[in-house]
Amino acid sequence: MDPPSLVSKESLPDLWALPQATADYDGGGGGGDGGGMLWTRSATAGGVPMGHNSFFAAVAGRQAAASVEGSTVTEQSVMTRGGRKRRDSGPPLVAASEDDSSKLISSCSGNELTESEAKRLKADGQREDGHGEEPKAEAEVNSGACHKRGNQASQSSVAPKQDYIHVRARRGQATDSHSLAERARREKISERMKILQDLVPGCNKVIGKALVLDEIINYIQSLQHQVEFLSMKLEALSAPTSHSMEGFPEDAFDTTSRLAFNNHPPPPREYGQGSSEWLHMQVGPGFKRAAGS
Amino acid sequence: MHREISPGNPNPNPNPNSPMPGFCYFLHALARIQQDVAPQRSPGKKGRRIRRAAYASMAVAAAPRRMAWSRALLRRLRRRSASPRRKTITVTRKKTRTERQEDELRRLVPGGRRMDLCSLLEETGDYLQCLAAQVSLMQWVARSISE
Repeated sequence: MDPPSLVSKESLPDLWALPQATADYDGGGGGGDGGGMLWTRSATAGGVPMGHNSFFAAVAGRQAAASVEGSTVTEQSVMTRGGRKRRDSGPPLVAASEDDSSKLISSCSGNELTESEAKRLKADGQREDGHGEEPKAEAEVNSGACHKRGNQASQSSVAPKQDYIHVRARRGQATDSHSLAERARREKISERMKILQDLVPGCNKVIGKALVLDEIINYIQSLQHQVEFLSMKLEALSAPTSHSMEGFPEDAFDTTSRLAFNNHPPPPREYGQGSSEWLHMQVGPGFKRAAGS
Repeated sequence: MHREISPGNPNPNPNPNSPMPGFCYFLHALARIQQDVAPQRSPGKKGRRIRRAAYASMAVAAAPRRMAWSRALLRRLRRRSASPRRKTITVTRKKTRTERQEDELRRLVPGGRRMDLCSLLEETGDYLQCLAAQVSLMQWVARSISE
């Protein structure tokens, strides 16, 4: 199951186009608090990063602040605790990329640092949070996560910055994975609502989830009615009828086609409802609702 | 909205590289239906066949993307008749407006009944695009026939 790949692939160019950490924070949206600023500062202290990989390398290599190290390891441990479950159950974008990026950090630290530096970093992390899952995170570093990096290069570059925002933001507030997952889910839903809003004409000005949903529903219903109407129209056009159809406006044509099927009730929707075998399951109740309201 | 096709999967569409394969399918089906000179027993039969062809062509066009709605639509079309709806036993409680709208959307999008909201919205977007394309194609055909 890979629905989030769609969204993340779409947002990929945006992220790559913004090498600067500060620019990414502007695009990152809600949830980025003081923690985000900390990352920005450390990044600029370590030289302006040109890409995500160099960004991570710079941060991990310089070890700009002790808290940064701590957070790196904390992410790993947290993700080994809760990431798997979330990824299995319809992975929210943020959670999945958190997992990836933690791997990326570990791989970078294994790759670009000297051995002693990497060990020091691990030791610092162990001292600081001392979770039970810490050996797992270490094992991830030791077992050559660099190989994973090659495979997941496309995935891990998806949203590396946004998850830092979330990871840092959750220090102060909700720490449990449920509220995190819920937040990610809500964000994903609103993102898709935005995409849908762009698809439905005249829906951009509508504000509010309920109204947007109304617009979408109405649009789908109108399109389905149109398919129905057009299939009737095509039938009538193909039929060897005596009267010519040329030049009729749609309303006039509608009446002629209605006259052609005079054993059916007048409006085309009713006609579809009465005669269709399967479509009325789709169209019928919606139309009733629309007519009732 | 592009998805990669995994190589091992059966592809119902013979030529996925052509731009609008399902819509070619629609035109072929339309031609076949129109050449059919069987005496019309019921007046709306041909229209129903055209509509079936329209929805089938939509589903076929979306098949390379492996969307759930196209599979559901094809399944429904192959069944040929309205199947008894599966009754879901739910605890009756007052639904909010948004929940009612979600149910509405699930009814409208094929195969939407057993989806979570995230994938439902994704499918809705894809379905909308295909439906709009189909409508414009049918309008074009109607226009070109009547001219």
